[in-house]
Amino acid sequence: MANFILRKAEPRDVPDILRLIKELAKFEEMEEQVVLTETELLQDGFGEQPFYHCIMAEVPEDRRSSDGHTVVGFAMYYFTYDPWIGKMLYLEDFYVMKEYRGMAVHTQYIHSTAVKSRCSGMHFIVAEWNKPSIDFYKRRGASDLSHEEGWRLFEIDKEYLLKMSAK
Amino acid sequence: MVYTIRVATLEDCKDIYRMIMVSRCGDRRVAQGDLEQDGFSKNPFFQSIIAEVPEQHRSKDGHSKVGYALYFFAYSSWKGRSVYMEDLYVMPEYRGKGIGKALMSKIAQLGLAAGCNQLNFAVLNWNKESMDFYLSQGCWDVTTGLDYHCMRCEGPALEALARGDPKN
Repeated sequence: MANFILRKAEPRDVPDILRLIKELAKFEEMEEQVVLTETELLQDGFGEQPFYHCIMAEVPEDRRSSDGHTVVGFAMYYFTYDPWIGKMLYLEDFYVMKEYRGMAVHTQYIHSTAVKSRCSGMHFIVAEWNKPSIDFYKRRGASDLSHEEGWRLFEIDKEYLLKMSAK
Repeated sequence: MVYTIRVATLEDCKDIYRMIMVSRCGDRRVAQGDLEQDGFSKNPFFQSIIAEVPEQHRSKDGHSKVGYALYFFAYSSWKGRSVYMEDLYVMPEYRGKGIGKALMSKIAQLGLAAGCNQLNFAVLNWNKESMDFYLSQGCWDVTTGLDYHCMRCEGPALEALARGDPKN
């Protein structure tokens, strides 16, 4: 019997998606930053024009987690565009519950998705202190654009967006 | 100077392509036809807006479309809907007149109308003038603030990753 399956997320997965988002945010010591709700996740991921896509990792009943979950990992992604390169895949979140790590196929699914969708590349963000993840991706040929090309990611929050849009 | 900011149409694509060619350098893989298909078909991968001036203010080369911005909708697993500004460009002879700010303001309006909570974009660390402008508008530097690095995996590396080639 396989250890786990990978499948496209369905609306019923929304509570698990939010649970896993919060677990990952807790690992990054940013749990209080998660303000997204199940209602928003449902609307934004499963409407006519989804803002994101998700892949879920699920184990059989007999391998349930200590707190009763069979959905043990997820990857959230969406498509972006670089007018120089073309279509890209952006990996927003990628997480597997601690007791199920080491299975690795999760990664291949995402990267196969990028290739099958004819994406020219995949972008994602890694925190500087997360050395295991940086090393994992660099070994596989990823480039650190912040370090190599000097790119810095900027953000404008809603309060300033409102001010800017009124000008 | 009078100018208008409006949503781009297929007819604008050749001017957007012209300005992309001028504003970037290095190897490119996207032809004008690709840009038309990717941005102006039924399920576009990006959206764009154009800054246009009246006939009497045409550039010395005869162009009235003098700036553009290219954006798409993204998603934050913490906060939900967001908009990403991929390109923002104004022809040099039209800078300093508020056109760049007006383009960005339009993206903010369109993003808020679509239910977005944040606008993200990337700036090169040597581009002090742009960084100072963005900081003055209330933006903050996520790379410095949260130690986040932008990573990219492409070409043969992406294909090898998809195959799950063993690594050292």
